[in-house]
Amino acid sequence: MKEELAKGIVDSLKDAGIDFLTYLPESRLSQILPLMQRDPDIAVVPVASEAEGVTIAAGAVLGGKQAACYLESSGLYVASYSLLTIGRQLGVPVLLVVGFLGGFGDQRNSFLYATVGQRTMPLLEGLGIPYVVIETGDQLPAKVKDAVRTMNALRSPVALLFAGEYTV
Amino acid sequence: MIRYDCLELLVQRMSDQLVITSQSGQRIEWANLSNHEGNLLVGMMGCALGVGMGLAVALPHRKVIVLDSDGSILLSLFNLPTLGNLQPGNLVVFVFDNGVYSGSRISYPTATSGNTDLESMAKAAGIKNAVTLTKLDDFRTKGLGALDRHELAFIVCKVEESLVHRQIDRPTLDLAENKYRFVRYLERTEGRPIPFIGRG
Repeated sequence: MKEELAKGIVDSLKDAGIDFLTYLPESRLSQILPLMQRDPDIAVVPVASEAEGVTIAAGAVLGGKQAACYLESSGLYVASYSLLTIGRQLGVPVLLVVGFLGGFGDQRNSFLYATVGQRTMPLLEGLGIPYVVIETGDQLPAKVKDAVRTMNALRSPVALLFAGEYTV
Repeated sequence: MIRYDCLELLVQRMSDQLVITSQSGQRIEWANLSNHEGNLLVGMMGCALGVGMGLAVALPHRKVIVLDSDGSILLSLFNLPTLGNLQPGNLVVFVFDNGVYSGSRISYPTATSGNTDLESMAKAAGIKNAVTLTKLDDFRTKGLGALDRHELAFIVCKVEESLVHRQIDRPTLDLAENKYRFVRYLERTEGRPIPFIGRG
């Protein structure tokens, strides 16, 4: 991913009001991490499982933060219980910033990722979590703001699936 | 020592602390003892400690108490290393370890009734202040004493299985109702709006 794309993600998250991030790193979007960690306005919490990435972010949201979880798309399967119970059933909005491995737009797709990737969108649909696939940096700030407005209005997690040029 | 006796002592110490409970017995028994607006009765196994950690980081000036169980901790063991590295000084975790999965009808042994020791696991994960208590007097002094210190505490309360939670009324507070009551309480006591609530 080009450096300007990583900066674009971080700037867009901040502009949309995100001030808390949990993460379990992956290779596609990881350039955002040093930028987030250097920012004094964002609390950054590393986690050991995407499942707790969601619950910790949800706790922060109930405490007044606007939180995002950065994870790989395979982590959505790990987090699905937390997403359904805390995200959907309790109704707590968190923004899922997802490195979308294994989808059509994954420029580094391979047999390692494709099976998991092809079921990512049906998984989110099954969980009732709205998502948008983002393949270029065009109008990213507006798309992230749209997602944050939607998740707060719905009281639900919303996912941004980064593919295309974000996976180069 | 049984869990309800511990909770009866704990409720006497409550003022403006935030109390997060996991499923199941501690949720029912705590709701029977306390109707405080700072209670969040998380009705899902394995999720309360994560929510409590997030709250503790977001609100470092508030004391956060998690009432958890051996079954829930075992379901979310990944919380331990995260907690051991975060070290939120405003968080006290009580794990009521009765050695069984004890829902509304069942009673099957958990790993802690075998060879597994949660205190040792917590310490190995970096939670220095992890202790095991077996007597009610120790809960009164050492357990409740943790509320007075600004230090992460992980207190494993080895309790006998009791059936109190099957004999008292289950809470009627709906999950969403509880959530909104909790965040409105935080808005009032913190003096600022919770952003996701927004305006209609």
